[in-house]
Amino acid sequence: MDMSFTPEETAFRDDIRAFLKAELDPALARKVRLHHDLTKAEMEGWHAKLQSRGWLAGNWPKEFGGAGWTAIQRHIFEEESARAHAPRIVPFGIAMLGPVLQKFGSKEQQDHWLPRILNGDDWWCQGYSEPGAGSDLASLRCEAVRDGDHYVVNGQKTWTTLGQHANMIFCLVRTNATGKKQEGISFLLIDMETPGVTVRPIVLLDGTAEVNEVWFDNVRVPAANLVGEENQGWTYAKYLLTHERTNIAGVGFATAALDNLKRVAKAQRHRGQPLSDDPLFAAEMAGVEIELMAMSTTNLRMLSAAAQGQAPGIESSMLKIKGTQIRQRLDALTRRAYGGQAMALTLEGNEGPEGADEALAASATWLNNRKLSIYGGSNEVQRSIISGALAKG
Amino acid sequence: MDFQLSDDHRMLQDSLRGILARHSGEALMPALLEAGVPQALLTEAEGGFDGSGAAVALIFEALGRAGASLPLIGTMIGAAALAQAGQPADDGATIAFADAEPGTRYDRGVAISVDGDRLTGRKTMVAGAEGAAAIIVTTADALWLVAPDAAGLTVRPYPLMDDQRGADLIFEATPATRLGALADFDTVLARGVLAHAAYALGTLSAAVDLTLDYLRTRKQFGQPLIAFQALAHRAADLSVEVEQARSAVTNFAGHLDADAPLRDRHLQACKVTLGRVARLVAEESVQLHGGIGMTEEYALGGMIRRLLAADTAMGDADFHLERFARGEPAFA
Repeated sequence: MDMSFTPEETAFRDDIRAFLKAELDPALARKVRLHHDLTKAEMEGWHAKLQSRGWLAGNWPKEFGGAGWTAIQRHIFEEESARAHAPRIVPFGIAMLGPVLQKFGSKEQQDHWLPRILNGDDWWCQGYSEPGAGSDLASLRCEAVRDGDHYVVNGQKTWTTLGQHANMIFCLVRTNATGKKQEGISFLLIDMETPGVTVRPIVLLDGTAEVNEVWFDNVRVPAANLVGEENQGWTYAKYLLTHERTNIAGVGFATAALDNLKRVAKAQRHRGQPLSDDPLFAAEMAGVEIELMAMSTTNLRMLSAAAQGQAPGIESSMLKIKGTQIRQRLDALTRRAYGGQAMALTLEGNEGPEGADEALAASATWLNNRKLSIYGGSNEVQRSIISGALAKG
Repeated sequence: MDFQLSDDHRMLQDSLRGILARHSGEALMPALLEAGVPQALLTEAEGGFDGSGAAVALIFEALGRAGASLPLIGTMIGAAALAQAGQPADDGATIAFADAEPGTRYDRGVAISVDGDRLTGRKTMVAGAEGAAAIIVTTADALWLVAPDAAGLTVRPYPLMDDQRGADLIFEATPATRLGALADFDTVLARGVLAHAAYALGTLSAAVDLTLDYLRTRKQFGQPLIAFQALAHRAADLSVEVEQARSAVTNFAGHLDADAPLRDRHLQACKVTLGRVARLVAEESVQLHGGIGMTEEYALGGMIRRLLAADTAMGDADFHLERFARGEPAFA
């Protein structure tokens, strides 16, 4: 057993660190650290910087213009980026749609859409969930009816993250209402400029509006925008979800949150001393740190197994549960570190207590990160996946 | 042993429920004033007619259940403290209670200092500071009265978690009147802690009820959510915790006028229990709802924020647990 990175991996990490040091604007990193909403231009600007190094699509093979990184390299990149508070790569085009088109799309679709993802021509969003179909995704109802060389789409999608910035949406639509629910679903690419598409923001309890509702009212979509075969969309959707869950452990984000918590606890006073010296609080912080140490290795063990060709099974569900538990515990501890100062909730644009940006970020982060255990298949759904596999033995 | 409300308290509860059913938003405070609710929070000696633990608990539980965010706790603490110091406040005037300080969890006198009868430094997260008729300020070991238009006082307002307006108060050699040692006002402050705990109880009961309604009506995979055992058992755990929280408030309310050491143990136990259950309900009720529970349009979101705020106010669960374990008094 060798627990250390290879010389190549270490050199790769040094490369990433040097890039982040040179290219990441400290003001932007501060916005990310304080959980402020980034503008579209800020996100696109970061994508462009990464793309100029060929690093935007670490998960794509080189033949499609990606970096062709190994799972370990992707992990290193994600961890270093998170610890430096770099903007997150918006996943919808790069991490979700890209792999689906590469595996199931036609040559024409690959040639047209993949370069546009890399150069920023398109901003994709995801049309999966519906008001009646959250965790029970197969019961979705948004329908597409073939009419000549078009599909006519009617229905509603929800939880469309960053859909307010998007010009394209990949959707699961119902093309057959008879038979098994999973067998009547198709995967359709829809231009959001088409007449009949309406986007409405959903304000969340931390005051942000990063998710949206999307309505389709007789929206005509060229049949050429169907990915793969009609009624086979469920297969593609499942393939996409396994990709969505690749960085689900969020080791880098947890590590960054732990660094931040330690910094806060050192600055915050308790009984006249730094809070980090308080044995009760220090023990709580140590408890989460120990959990994170184990989870980080669980993550690497699973990445390493995947690199040797073992297909990920219930491991990604395990990482989702443990990773989100750890991050939510870190968020809660950071709020508790602030005590009475955690009472304000002021987001960008509102004036808050002077010099208290960090305390404000703590409450906003706690509220916003309740989503971690809900989205991408709630932790309850993950437990059902694990227990279902355990029952089969 | 009798856990039933007295006839007077039942009447108070009925009248309060009626007001809360008819009024909300800006119309609520005048209606509460007209019905004499603030007077029910004060003892006869303080110019009120009740001020018992039972009255405070039932009033703030009802306000919490109704989701009413009003600067009533500060007003109650302030009016009682002023009365005790022989300077009764005007009926109907809002009083702000400035306790929390920046840079520290719950230490007092770190960010603010006293020179003679002048205060210099800062208080933070002060609810209802805008438009207050008086401001009561804590320092390391004393309670002070500051006029809202005092020289050298700057008020910087912003929104709080619980939808109230809060403010930073910046004192620059601001003249203040010393009301007395902090320890002399422990019964007054204890009533404030009870109010926060009872408010949390009302809020978390409402959040759990809303969650149970959702689990009974929302269908996934062809069944109502409550039919899934993994969710049903967690709903059951929440209902157990609501009863624990109710008992903790009852214990403290029943011992509000007990000797300080006994009262403080119940105070600390109550705030620890309510803080723990409030956090649990905040986390679990969102999770059991799923995404809808995170939206501003749905009623749960505001409840979550008010639960977090109620835990945080006047010492959170961590703060009071430590004092309970060390056998320390609540205010000293």
